[in-house]
Amino acid sequence: MDINQIRTRLLALLRQIAPDIEPQSLEPQRAFRDQFDFDSMDALHFATAVSEAFGIEIPERDYPSLMSLEGAARFVQSRLGAGA
Amino acid sequence: MRVEFRLPSLGADMESATLTEWLKQPGEHIHRGEAIATVETTKGLIDLEAYEDGTLSELVATPGTRLPVGAVMAHLEVEGGAAPAAELNAPPPGAPAPPAQAPPPPAATVRAPQAERVRLSPAARRRAHELGIAPETLAHAAAPGAIVHLQDIERLASAPPAAANAARAAMREAIGAAMARAKREIPHYYLGQTLDFGPARAWLTQHNAQLAVGERLIEAVLLIKAVALAAARLEGFNGHWREGRFERSAAVHVGAAIAVRGGGLVAPALLDAHAKDLAALMSEFSALVTRARAGHLRSGEFTAATITLTSLGADGVDVLYPIINPPQVAIIGAGAIRDAPWAIEGRIEVRPLLTLALAADHRVTDGRLGARFLRSIAELLADPQRL
Repeated sequence: MDINQIRTRLLALLRQIAPDIEPQSLEPQRAFRDQFDFDSMDALHFATAVSEAFGIEIPERDYPSLMSLEGAARFVQSRLGAGA
Repeated sequence: MRVEFRLPSLGADMESATLTEWLKQPGEHIHRGEAIATVETTKGLIDLEAYEDGTLSELVATPGTRLPVGAVMAHLEVEGGAAPAAELNAPPPGAPAPPAQAPPPPAATVRAPQAERVRLSPAARRRAHELGIAPETLAHAAAPGAIVHLQDIERLASAPPAAANAARAAMREAIGAAMARAKREIPHYYLGQTLDFGPARAWLTQHNAQLAVGERLIEAVLLIKAVALAAARLEGFNGHWREGRFERSAAVHVGAAIAVRGGGLVAPALLDAHAKDLAALMSEFSALVTRARAGHLRSGEFTAATITLTSLGADGVDVLYPIINPPQVAIIGAGAIRDAPWAIEGRIEVRPLLTLALAADHRVTDGRLGARFLRSIAELLADPQRL
């Protein structure tokens, strides 16, 4: 899975948690919570969804890497690469 | 015997609701706690639950019509026979009584249902809610008399959202009405207490490290449990002020203020929070947040809360001075946890600090007891094993 496919999939997961976000205006490098309502419960739901969708373990200490689209994409890519 | 099922009051600010759909049909048997109908309020779609076993005998209200609080919606045949009609909408045992049902407002104050008979498909209705669009504003979304479908909503959503603004304005109005009543009627007093959240955070990190992502706890759950245990211990903070006196509740149903996407907030209850373990509280809180944001809470969750906890989350401010949600008599505001200097045994260390603010009702308690309540929460968080 290349990073663009990962990004597309992450965006779909994110929209299930925060349906009000507009993918066009989302800044990939910026933290979610600086761009729209995204609290600790959303963070946990997102981490859970990412873990299930990609079949990867996500320790709590890695949550900060997941909190932007680009960060999450790179995290998932490194995990998938490591597991392959 | 035949009893009436009336539209309950789901909060101090609620005057009416629009019946969206019947979830049960005449002749169907209904169990206590089952959803009978869905109504639309300024707080979103709410499932009305039966508080008694029985058989639905007659539907009185028609979907699409706006009903005043207290209006008869349906008739039920209840087994056993002796239950008075008024108790049909009473909460299940263990829950506090709902607010006294206000008499139906005079017909003139009920807004005429002019454009309200807009019919939406279930998918369209859910999506409209997610977008904060009031269904009655959707008359133009489809041909006259036709059902509004999901694609109509999506088409509208890509256009400038005048309708979404109307729904937000309605929720803002409802929040304003409840808070104005609180400020007018409740003699609030305020107390603050800062505590070192370090022990709770350390315990949580260790606890979560052993768990899969879906089973982990968040900090808010520790706080909910600490508030619930302290409220169960000290009299005067947990219950309702009704008809000139305080009615204590033995069970602690913690209302959790949840921000709704697009603006506004709701504070549905986590039932029996004092008696549940952290894992159970976490899974219920998680489901509650999801349903609150999808606009699908249950009627019992709106009226049951006996005390409220509110927070602006990690992006919040140091102190949140809350306003009591009537008919409750206390509310805790939690600031954002921040790293700051803290004196420990004569040394200064940087610790994660949390400031709690209590707003309580002076008709029920004084500052001295309020201070004990806050200290009690702080002590529980300092020793998270006890939660």
